[in-house]
Amino acid sequence: MLTPAELVGLFEAVAKGDQAAFERLYIATRAKLYGVVLRILRRQDLAEEVIQETYVKIWNSAGQFNPALSSPITWMASIARNRAIDIVRKKSEVSIEEEPQAMEVAADSPDPLARREMTEELKRLLECVGRLEPDRQRLVLLAYYNGWSREQLAEKFSAPVNTVKTWLRRSMLEIRECLGL
Amino acid sequence: MAYTEDHIALAAEYALGTLDADERAQVETMMAVDKAFAEIVQAWGYRLGVLNQMVGTIEPRPIVWENIRSELARTGFAQQPPLLSEGSTPSPEPASSSLAAVPPEASSGDTQQLEAQPPAADQPDTARAAPDAIPQITPVYMPQVHAPDPEIVHAPPPPVADNSNLIRLEGRVKRWRTIASAVGALAAALLVTLSLQIFLPDALPGGLRPAPRIQTVEVKTPVPLAASSQYVALLQGPAGGPAFILTVDGATKNFTVRKVGAPPEPGKSFELWLISDKLPRPRSLGVIGGGDFTARPLLASYDAEIVNGATYAVTVEQAGGSPNGQPTSAPVFSGKLIETVPPSQPQPPAKK
Repeated sequence: MLTPAELVGLFEAVAKGDQAAFERLYIATRAKLYGVVLRILRRQDLAEEVIQETYVKIWNSAGQFNPALSSPITWMASIARNRAIDIVRKKSEVSIEEEPQAMEVAADSPDPLARREMTEELKRLLECVGRLEPDRQRLVLLAYYNGWSREQLAEKFSAPVNTVKTWLRRSMLEIRECLGL
Repeated sequence: MAYTEDHIALAAEYALGTLDADERAQVETMMAVDKAFAEIVQAWGYRLGVLNQMVGTIEPRPIVWENIRSELARTGFAQQPPLLSEGSTPSPEPASSSLAAVPPEASSGDTQQLEAQPPAADQPDTARAAPDAIPQITPVYMPQVHAPDPEIVHAPPPPVADNSNLIRLEGRVKRWRTIASAVGALAAALLVTLSLQIFLPDALPGGLRPAPRIQTVEVKTPVPLAASSQYVALLQGPAGGPAFILTVDGATKNFTVRKVGAPPEPGKSFELWLISDKLPRPRSLGVIGGGDFTARPLLASYDAEIVNGATYAVTVEQAGGSPNGQPTSAPVFSGKLIETVPPSQPQPPAKK
């Protein structure tokens, strides 16, 4: 199992152009990143494209990774997720929802509580998310995990989009305050 | 910080992903011209990024690596990658339709485990773990058995009257309670079934499945509304983390206990109890087996109301369980169930 420290080591090697290290990095992280983006994009072709772009970007900018700011996997997932969100926001929701041949692949399990410890950072964040009202908690987490837009959230929560907008803003500011930022 | 709340909120929402395309473009422009603002946005991205720890892994098809490699080849990346085809993975590269045959973790576990994936040896049971898959459930952390209401329970009455301990424990209890609340929402968020679009002719469903060790692909069958709820309780002791995860299927009332903590001392057994103020005394739900999972239908004989409201507690008993059907010692782990309902259903606790 690669520890974050080992991943950092791989990053350093990748930054110097070590292709074997890059491949190891890919092997170690691809399934997580794919899980993250597939959940948001819900289309294999788009998700694969995002993964490809993400790793090309990682290869080209591994030197910019700063272990003081985030873990390697968080950094990588951040790149992948931002790209995925860009794509779903640029496409109309309709084109994603109404493509033919949709197939339910299933809810994946969160890499469970049961199997591993949550990191202290995750506990801190969840502690703050947990202080929001239950509906807001779900709002924030659905937004994050599924990449839902305000419109989709508004539909889900049967609320006007502007209300959702306010909720989101307030929730994020409350989380910030709770985190002591 | 010199930034207004509007800036902060914008940065946070960018990281959350809820801005529309124009707003995202705006933030990206701001990031390009304002390094400090870019750092705020990135910090939010990393802060929220820990949530991805909870996302299941899914193997992409091998073609993805091929594509990355050929993309990079244009910039001088080697044409022949050593690892995937002939290095630590000696088995022949499988066809794209047989992803499950890719043995990355198994073949070189020292290099390929993601931080969120325990080594395969740690989870030999996951392949049959579907019935208590986590996303169906909402956990709550309730360390105290005799606490009828999470809102009013403060600290467990510990045998020792050490005040500082009490306060520390109280803080921890509160902390776990708020975390648990979020974990419940998190589980619900992750529960949403992925409706995946298939376009490529060779993208067979099998190719979309995660590696078997993860066992995350499971098509949820719709269940009747009233019975669609899933319940979970994290049974934990005063020391913190969960020791057992109890999941109850709302439809069948079957329950599964997953052991995540240490085994009992030699010669002892863990026994699970249902404690309800509607029942005169604790009811045994049986000894928790030695394996990681213990599944039983025993709750079926109880009213839903009792099942929902009960405290679930684990005591240490002599091997094989309490001799007289009653707990012989104080619970060491306990918790209450919380219900997860489908997001489309209004949930009373959600209203203030």
